[in-house]
Amino acid sequence: MMNWFFAPVPLGRVAALRTLAYAFVPIDLFLLTPWVLPHKDVPGELYRPLLIGRLLHLPTPSFWLVVGVCVALTGCALVAATGRAPRLLGTAVFVLYFEWMIVAMSYGKVDHDRIGFLVLLAVLPTIGRARWGDTETLSERAGWAMRVTQIAVVCTYFLAAWAKLRFGGIEWLNGATLTRAVLRRGTFLSDWTVQVPFLLVAFQWFIVAFELSSPAVLFIRSERLRTRVVAGFYAFHVMVYGAITIAFWPHLVAMASFLPLERVRPIVWIRTRRQQRAERRQGEVSVPRSP
Amino acid sequence: MVQDRPVSPTRERLSTAGKATRLGLTAVLGGLLLAGTVVGQDDAFPFGPFRMYSTTDSLDAPVKSTRMEAVDTAGRRFALRGEEVGLRRAEIEGQLGRFRDDPRRLGGVATAYRNRHPDGPGLARIEIITRHFALDGGRPTGQHHDTVDVAWTPR
Repeated sequence: MMNWFFAPVPLGRVAALRTLAYAFVPIDLFLLTPWVLPHKDVPGELYRPLLIGRLLHLPTPSFWLVVGVCVALTGCALVAATGRAPRLLGTAVFVLYFEWMIVAMSYGKVDHDRIGFLVLLAVLPTIGRARWGDTETLSERAGWAMRVTQIAVVCTYFLAAWAKLRFGGIEWLNGATLTRAVLRRGTFLSDWTVQVPFLLVAFQWFIVAFELSSPAVLFIRSERLRTRVVAGFYAFHVMVYGAITIAFWPHLVAMASFLPLERVRPIVWIRTRRQQRAERRQGEVSVPRSP
Repeated sequence: MVQDRPVSPTRERLSTAGKATRLGLTAVLGGLLLAGTVVGQDDAFPFGPFRMYSTTDSLDAPVKSTRMEAVDTAGRRFALRGEEVGLRRAEIEGQLGRFRDDPRRLGGVATAYRNRHPDGPGLARIEIITRHFALDGGRPTGQHHDTVDVAWTPR
């Protein structure tokens, strides 16, 4: 159990995940959830504070609070993505992103795709310095951080099945939830499915089976198999996106904590390729020409 | 760039205290998350239940879809999309009960519209309209009708 929680992970994985997570923050702010920033224009009377906002006495978002958090968060995240001052900037990004989420979720609708990413942002500063491509330093600190992020990701699936039983009851399996979703948000890829009897009901059974069995991925020892299973998870989300254009982007970023990211070295690859090309060209030049 | 040398891996270990703190944190947060799923509501964010698409819909009950329409002071009637008032459709739906209880609350939506369109005409009327799509055995019959849920005009 202790070994499982703290199974050491190469620090290169942390460095890569840091860059991915922190670079994702501005993408999330401006491209994926552009509806958060406009809350700056909504009067306070439509603010419905969440439990955490009431407990911590967080201020009602005003124009300058929302704009200020947006600017500070973007700046901190961009610098943090380079790996500089991982504890200080990482903590700042977590706190600011959390406040950004309060601003996002306090106007009548709460999204459910954040817990994995919030956990990832919370634990990244606990690891300290990490160098890109470092496959030789195996860290228990990093192992725990990856493990709890993975647990949060899996909880998003497993507890979603639980919520379906709690709110929808066992009838959820044979209900019209997906029909309703496709009618409201369908695409040319999915609109036909509402006309095929039992297809969407069968897919509802598949979803619950998938969600209930998802914790198994936490116990796969073979890295190769784990990567394949997680690729299957990603494929599920691609399918959902094609059908109803909903993607749980922050969840998908947090899910990368399952992958051997230390081996993904785009800058090194580009450099090596350029070097090889240069060497080849040199080889061509050095061939003596016959006059 | 220095190439990776074949060095035996070094292992950075955690102290017992470090491990205990981390296990404690994991237990507390895991407990909160579980409690949120078992008894919590959306209000408990980020520990609330993962209730996306968790309600059961009958195969024969109509599917509802909410939208807003507005009339500006120039008399133009138009579909009032979420981004024009800084709120998403789901947020309007989430506060629908409050708007029904007191339609004057839609005045906040009109204020938000003015904040986002300071140079154009203001709003003279806002309606929240629900479209009911009829279903038969889980398939749309092609029929629908609209109802005006809440209407607001400035006093």
